[in-house]
Amino acid sequence: MHIILKLFYEKLFKLSGKRNHYTVIGRNKNEKIVNNNNGTCNGNSIICRLWENRDPKNLKAEFQSDRQPDIYVIEGMGGYNTWKSKLTPFENEEWMDLTTLEFAVDGQVYGFPVAVEAWGMAYNKDILEQAGVDPATLTSQAGYKAAFEKIDAMKGDLGLKSVVAMAAGPDMRWVTGLHNFNGYLSAGLEYGDTSVLDKLNSGEADVERLTEYADWVELLFAYADEAVLLTGNYDAQVGQFATGQAAFVHQGNWIDPWLTDNGVDFPMGFAPHASVYGEHNAIFIGAPSYYVLNSDSQNQEAAKAFLNFMATTEAGHNYMVNEAKMVPAFTNVTLVPDTPLSANVTEWLNKENGAYTWLQNDMPDGFGMGTIAPLYESYAKGDLDKAAFIAQLVGKIEEIK
Amino acid sequence: MHTHPSYELKGKGKFPIREETKTFLLIHKKNPKNQTNHNPISNQNQVTTNKMTEGEGKRMNKKAKEKLVFWLFLVPALSSFILVVVVPFFMGVYYSMTDWTAVAGQQANWVGLGNYKNMFSDLAFRYSFLRTFLFTLLSVIAINAVALTLAFLVTREIRFKNFFRAGFFIPNLIGGLVLGYIWQFIFKSVVPSIGTLLGIEALEKVLILAEPNLALFGLIFAFTWQYAGYIMMIYVAALLNVPQELIEASQIDGANFIQRLRSITIPMIAQAFTITSFLTLVTSFKQYDIIVALTNGGPAAIYQGTTVNSTEMLAVHIYSVAFKYNNMAEGQARAIIFFIVLSVVSIGQVYYNKKKEVEM
Repeated sequence: MHIILKLFYEKLFKLSGKRNHYTVIGRNKNEKIVNNNNGTCNGNSIICRLWENRDPKNLKAEFQSDRQPDIYVIEGMGGYNTWKSKLTPFENEEWMDLTTLEFAVDGQVYGFPVAVEAWGMAYNKDILEQAGVDPATLTSQAGYKAAFEKIDAMKGDLGLKSVVAMAAGPDMRWVTGLHNFNGYLSAGLEYGDTSVLDKLNSGEADVERLTEYADWVELLFAYADEAVLLTGNYDAQVGQFATGQAAFVHQGNWIDPWLTDNGVDFPMGFAPHASVYGEHNAIFIGAPSYYVLNSDSQNQEAAKAFLNFMATTEAGHNYMVNEAKMVPAFTNVTLVPDTPLSANVTEWLNKENGAYTWLQNDMPDGFGMGTIAPLYESYAKGDLDKAAFIAQLVGKIEEIK
Repeated sequence: MHTHPSYELKGKGKFPIREETKTFLLIHKKNPKNQTNHNPISNQNQVTTNKMTEGEGKRMNKKAKEKLVFWLFLVPALSSFILVVVVPFFMGVYYSMTDWTAVAGQQANWVGLGNYKNMFSDLAFRYSFLRTFLFTLLSVIAINAVALTLAFLVTREIRFKNFFRAGFFIPNLIGGLVLGYIWQFIFKSVVPSIGTLLGIEALEKVLILAEPNLALFGLIFAFTWQYAGYIMMIYVAALLNVPQELIEASQIDGANFIQRLRSITIPMIAQAFTITSFLTLVTSFKQYDIIVALTNGGPAAIYQGTTVNSTEMLAVHIYSVAFKYNNMAEGQARAIIFFIVLSVVSIGQVYYNKKKEVEM
């Protein structure tokens, strides 16, 4: 990510050269990058500020402090609602014809998709092969149940601690409250269908769908390791999968850098989440974050030119795919990522109807991680039974009204 | 009677007041002969007496000038205090009654006491409040008990006592976040390993950070480990100041250890109790960093039929409302209540402890 930002400055300086001070605020995807990344370019000072994950408070401070960025990053409708007074729409940009994942509100395009991210049930191909489980059967809750039972029975031989590396503890609220819950919002629906989300945002729960969904949660929890499930953090969960102690991990292609850094090289891929009943042949694919233009920026033309450069030139593609290890959201990109999960995302992306929508960032702020995620933990611990879990989810949704 | 630097801690007019110091300095400049007298109050009297003999108009003039200089001296302290404490405080009070979002250029609209009403109807806030009081109570007791015990041990005639004093103090130099992660590792990995080693299955299987009460215990444990050494130092200073002749006299009279402790040591170190209980109370009540690193507010617990975060103390709760729920104004309202409660509790505690102090 920082490479892209660096490139951005270089490009920006060449294009305008008016100001000696440019700022981009982006999201730190590669967790190893430090927050401050300062340097110089063409005699101009570069100030590059990245903020950790989904934490917009630093951005608020930047805007308050009169060091406004020219381009910054928002995530979905939540970000739009917070920042709409500081956004300006794109019009007739070259990149707009090359993607279907741009962020638009009421027909106005506001966001340039940073990258495609996706998650499903990531599986270890070797373990599944040894256990005699065909990933192609993992399309429904029944299919998963059979596979989990089969693998669970062979745990000792396969050297597994648990079938699934799943985390629902206090450090991992996003896995349950956002990613897992997104299955309730979009699994089994057509790409872009927001009917369940719209109902949720008006305080209406689909009890039948939630009941089907709770079966899926129960299945995942039943085959997870208790310590990782209740108290594990990111390293514990991904580590369990990476060390071959779990056949599946409930994470997305963002774990690629972690796996590469730790020398993990077994073959892997994604299988769909069977979040509700029925057959599933899609994983959750979306562009969760978007570059947007600051409406007060003095450098809008240069910023727009930079985004076009990223989407349309080979150098831009190379940076996105090979340097930043991302999956670009543009149809003209021919480069394929060399990391296993990202490569698999590209495959799913090319399948017809191979994607379910990301909608978890369009729920009210804090609802996923703050309000409902602790319910999963209580359910995992047995403080809530399945009926109570469903009832509480319904209750929390109805409180949104 | 005894005087010792540590007694300056007890207050009661022993703190030099800033204005007096200023006046003192001013007077010294004009009356070099007063330089040996170090009591600002009597200086002032002397000056006034001196001036009585001079002309009335000149006296008024001088007084006005003195006043001006006095205020000029005060300007740096006063202006920064107003700028960074008073003004933001009242801005905070104002924001707590609006729908402020902290997005630059967005107007805040007045909502009156709406945020306060929401707060008290929010179960998570009420629960957080109760847990904070419980946590504060338990950690004040734990820290003071441990600190006092350690202080007794390291003030006895033992070998390496300075080494032990330094050793117990060192955890206080480790930042709360680092310490939280270290203890997280201990509770998650070391404790089960010890269980395996000793063959105790309960210890091997226990998930300390998954059980609400155990997690609270773990927090208090880690916090005590960090803070008891610091509080111990205060007790050590106080214990060293207990007059030896009193102890010896009581020994001659045949008092045993418990009697000496109850009738001499505890009353003599009452001033230290005022300080230590104030410090532990305020620090526990505001605890944030260890909680974030060790438990991150979790584990989930059931309270009145609803799932809540069992170690989400007030400071963590306020952060979560303001930043996770992106609800700045409501977080601000909770911070105001937090401020009021903490002020009342700590002033009450100091008032109560002060009454128990023994005048030397």
